[in-house]
Amino acid sequence: MRKLFLALLMIGVLLVSGAFTALAAEEINVIYMAQAAYQPNEIRDMADLFEELSNIKVNLEFVKYDEQHEKVVASAVAPIPTYDVFSLDLIWTAEFASKGFCVAIDDYMSPAVKEDIAPAIMDAFVFDGKTWAMPFLANFQLFFYNIDMIKKAGFDAAPKTLEEMVEQMEAIKAKGICKYPWTDSWNQKEGLTCEYVWLTGAFGGDTFDKDAKPIFNTGPGLKALEFMVMLLDKGLASPKSLTNDEPAARDDFIAGNAAFTSNWTFQYGSMNDPSISKVVGAGKMGLLPIAKDVLGKYTYETASVSGFQGAAILANSKNKEAAWKYVRFITSPIVQRAYLTEMPVWTSVQTSAYAKTMDPVIDVKAKEIASVHHRPKVPPYPEVSSILQRYIHSALTGKMEPKAALDKAKTEIEAVMGL
Amino acid sequence: MSIRRQELSSKQLALILLLPSILIILCVVIGPLIFAFYLSFFKAEPIIGGISTKFIGFSNYIHYFLKDPLFWSSVRVTSYFTVVSLVIELILGISIALVLNKSFIGRSFVRSIILLPWALPTVVNARMWEWIYAGSSFGALNGLMKVLHIFPADYDKVWLGFDVPLQNIPLIGNFMEWVGASTALNMIILADTWKVTPLVTLLVLAALQTFPDSLYEAAGIDGASSWHQFWNITLPLLRPVLLVVLVLRTMELFRVFDIIYILMQYSIRVVGVYTFETGMKFLNFGRGSALSFLVGLFILGISLIYVKLLYSEEV
Repeated sequence: MRKLFLALLMIGVLLVSGAFTALAAEEINVIYMAQAAYQPNEIRDMADLFEELSNIKVNLEFVKYDEQHEKVVASAVAPIPTYDVFSLDLIWTAEFASKGFCVAIDDYMSPAVKEDIAPAIMDAFVFDGKTWAMPFLANFQLFFYNIDMIKKAGFDAAPKTLEEMVEQMEAIKAKGICKYPWTDSWNQKEGLTCEYVWLTGAFGGDTFDKDAKPIFNTGPGLKALEFMVMLLDKGLASPKSLTNDEPAARDDFIAGNAAFTSNWTFQYGSMNDPSISKVVGAGKMGLLPIAKDVLGKYTYETASVSGFQGAAILANSKNKEAAWKYVRFITSPIVQRAYLTEMPVWTSVQTSAYAKTMDPVIDVKAKEIASVHHRPKVPPYPEVSSILQRYIHSALTGKMEPKAALDKAKTEIEAVMGL
Repeated sequence: MSIRRQELSSKQLALILLLPSILIILCVVIGPLIFAFYLSFFKAEPIIGGISTKFIGFSNYIHYFLKDPLFWSSVRVTSYFTVVSLVIELILGISIALVLNKSFIGRSFVRSIILLPWALPTVVNARMWEWIYAGSSFGALNGLMKVLHIFPADYDKVWLGFDVPLQNIPLIGNFMEWVGASTALNMIILADTWKVTPLVTLLVLAALQTFPDSLYEAAGIDGASSWHQFWNITLPLLRPVLLVVLVLRTMELFRVFDIIYILMQYSIRVVGVYTFETGMKFLNFGRGSALSFLVGLFILGISLIYVKLLYSEEV
């Protein structure tokens, strides 16, 4: 008995002393996605520098994009949060803000900060009049085309309108240059909603209106889905697109099995990497084409979809000040200048001579990012997106007519939103 | 006196030794089960620092029974998956066990490697078949088809596609569409069955080895053919094992999640995937809990039917 008592006392002393050492230095826990964009070693380098400058220890955890949502929710629901800082995908802004998971950062931001970030980027993280995350990663879709295939088919340059693109694709297919000129990631995942949103933008509209009510079953939304179905029916889009995710669509393009695709910024690097790409030099990046009758509506004659991520602070975090310092550091212009693999969110950095030297295509990117359309900003977004994906996919596989599919999707979405 | 003290302390010892396991089962299994059952009567959502609940009685259950077509199509897909997998597993498993019961050169080697697929973790199995079924030229199955000259050199079949098999045959095509079958689902059935058949084989083989040879010799003398012997001697004797296999496999197949989620994400909505989506993606904890208990009820019902049909007191 005495031995047992002594053993328990030892364990107790060790635990208490351990707790004290943990409290000594300030510490924050960060969860981040390890997929596209900044790679884990780059984030770790940023964190190391921050630790040196601020004496705040940073613990990083990397997970797949799909797992982030669950882990952040689990951390928010717990009385003691696992994480202090997390990367907020813009599609979760409405959901997390309405549930009170993250901290509004309007008070933390100075007017200089607000001036230097384009409204299109800042707006993605605004809900209910407040800002819920600092823009960190400005990911968006761009147009990738194989100029050699275009020239072989008898055209001079990349298409500026969707109708031109279809014309070029038909010629490329007829001449046997490429069996399926269009590839994309149309599998039944979040990527499908992204593709649908940029195409709706390319036909001149948005999926939801200003009051966050669904309007996608008429006008531009309907035309976008009919366009996708038409590409499949005419054999211009590869049937493999229906099971592709974004990396698979990129693989199709860099293997030379497609002439046109739309994909996120990460494809540019892979396309020009001689060790994996067969289209180095032939593959080019440009502005996404829009429909002919939409010309003149948009400043840069293009439309795209946003895939922004912001750095946000969990509302139940015990280290909010330290967390904000970290957030401010990793999103600062200096750090973004050092890591120009991703598009900087600061207008001053985007237009700087340095950025132009390091990234020759930054002009194209700047125009595209100013033309992004956002996905619907509604609190039950996961369910809304799931319904949209289901019905768009059933129209693409030919199980339903586009109009019928979108009408049913709208009814179900209105039921979910309580409209 | 000393003997009595020993009796008591052996019971006490047993209790003390069992206590850690009981605690773990209470906290990890029973506790969440009761909490989930409790939540299924509420509209429950996560909020900062906890879960908000609003009592709504049986609304969640009624929603799925009466108002949700997705639930029933989900049950249909899962039933199709379960029934087809079971049929294939049973036929293959019993056949292989019968073969392994005979003696041949290398039998002990074959018996030991037959368990390898079963030893694979489900996630590893799913990823492996993802590479085999990849719809491009570097998918292993496409490559094999080309080597065997079944596919021409530039044709790549998208194995995990959504086309309905046997669409053009009148009745069967309609049934397949109603049930939600697709080429993808059929290929996944193959992938899952490949992994699980060894278990059935093992259980049946163990039972086969207890059957006395005298029964078969007597039947042989009476002039029964081997098919007759199988149908009238082996199968009835296998009933208890088949009951175990059926109950075990039906439960696991009805709950299937890993392989479908990894290969198809949410596009094939079996009940496991549907529950996960409702509870964890849409954060609708009340509905998700109700759904999981409904599924539990289904499986319980099926198991009761099995016991009724197959349980026999004597061999």
